[in-house]
Amino acid sequence: MLERVDITYISPCLAEPDKIRLKARLGKSIEEVLPYLNAVMEGASFNPAVPCITIRRDFRVLTLYPEELTMIKAENSTDAMQVIEWLKKQIRDIWERKDEITPDYTRSEKPHPLMIYKQLPGTNCGACGETNCMAFAFKLLGGEQEVDNCRPLKEGDYLESREMLNNLFVS
Amino acid sequence: MAIYLDNAATSYPKPEAVYQAVEDYQRNIGVSPGRGAYQRAIQAEQLVFNTRRALGQLFNISDLSRIIFTANVTEALNLALKGLLGPEDHVITTSIEHNAVWRPLMHLKKERNIRVTRLANPEGCQLDVAELEEVLGPGAELVVVNHASNVTGAIMPLQEIGSLCQEYEVPLLFDSAQTAGVLPIDVEKAGISLLGFTGHKGLLGPTGTGGLYLAPEIELKPLKEGGTGSKSYLETQPEDLPDRYESGTPNTMGLAGLKAGVEYILDRGLDEIRARELQLTEMLLEKLNRLEGCEVYGPGSARERVAVVSFNLASIPAAEAAYVLDEVYDIMVRAGLHCAPVIHRELGLENRGSLRVSPGLFTEKEELDQLEKALEEILAR
Repeated sequence: MLERVDITYISPCLAEPDKIRLKARLGKSIEEVLPYLNAVMEGASFNPAVPCITIRRDFRVLTLYPEELTMIKAENSTDAMQVIEWLKKQIRDIWERKDEITPDYTRSEKPHPLMIYKQLPGTNCGACGETNCMAFAFKLLGGEQEVDNCRPLKEGDYLESREMLNNLFVS
Repeated sequence: MAIYLDNAATSYPKPEAVYQAVEDYQRNIGVSPGRGAYQRAIQAEQLVFNTRRALGQLFNISDLSRIIFTANVTEALNLALKGLLGPEDHVITTSIEHNAVWRPLMHLKKERNIRVTRLANPEGCQLDVAELEEVLGPGAELVVVNHASNVTGAIMPLQEIGSLCQEYEVPLLFDSAQTAGVLPIDVEKAGISLLGFTGHKGLLGPTGTGGLYLAPEIELKPLKEGGTGSKSYLETQPEDLPDRYESGTPNTMGLAGLKAGVEYILDRGLDEIRARELQLTEMLLEKLNRLEGCEVYGPGSARERVAVVSFNLASIPAAEAAYVLDEVYDIMVRAGLHCAPVIHRELGLENRGSLRVSPGLFTEKEELDQLEKALEEILAR
């Protein structure tokens, strides 16, 4: 199912410079696999509106789109490539058993506010109109705020965090 | 046509795919892995990773970041011994060790006052596993064993040694220079804590490649520090593997070839490769045993050896016989102590050395026939 994954970009993570982040292009679309991954993988966060799914491998976070993937917090490039090999195997195994799996097309439940808070710059600048970042996180979850209202997130170098939050809240 | 029978030193020729992989890397990629943010650097990095993946499959290594690439098995063994052993540590080893183990051990004896217990390999053959258990009893910091002798070809009982080391909780450093790519080595099943391997022999890769596998519980001091292409803001060596032990631009060209070599082995299968080697070794032993005045060292049966056979021809000095073989018959063999003085001393050959013939995967039976004829003529002179 997923044989080719071509890494197109590797650089240090912005929040944790001792870890790396990367982007990769997939050899073919895995769009139809995403609901199966959502059904099987523990802790996966699926948003059919994008569509994309975020999964974890220990401390690394992967977001899979139909033809692309991103990974953050990998130890180094060897580690990241090893995680990609793991992912390929997961997808291969799941696709082989697809007749036994009931795909889950539903959007994952809203994440914990702390998880949202961790993705924010943490400046407590108030530019969004909230008293601090934690308050902004709660409002985001409640649908009373928008990701783009966080000015540091938009203007600073927080590409993955912004992308991850957008993926969560796109409807 | 020249006949090459020194595969125990370096295998030659290589599978066609190995030459192609080296050329392809040099012409079409050619850049440092992980040192640039451009596509080619990522491709080079992926190539190095794919070499790790192939080796992981061959040796059943699940965490590929624990495979450290080195210039050869000598560097791997130096990293293991110097990175692991501390003052007054006790090391158990055998008599068939190569100088790649002996010399670092002798250096550490002087520098860190380590204690070395050497097990006997009577007649250049098997060590006595009961003797190993006896010396393991009082405890040791490390056991170092050569999987097969590069002089007599004798194969050591990996599984038994590994089980004993696990039972006594002493890490096992295993030198697979003569066996990787020929005999099955499963690091998990065999209980190997550190596996040294070289790329240019049985793994069919280019010279200048090799490595060391470290089990999860093994913690080593690096042999060198320097640029890793990662975490460059740190003034000190990064802690993450494999970068911690892989400073400096790697031999990517060599690793490209090594990947092709290992993939060739995985594709052909160890069973078939070993069967071919056994066939040639049996044939060689038969021929040598037929020659009057030829004294063969090590196990009598091919099954107890890798394709390495050392011998002497009556009282003809080994170096002289090797010279005549090369000069007159265009046959390449090795003469001397083969960097293994201890086993030669045990065999009573310290002043004499031996002549060593090691066929390879691509050796033809006819080439052994020609060797036989040449040896007959040399003996009849």
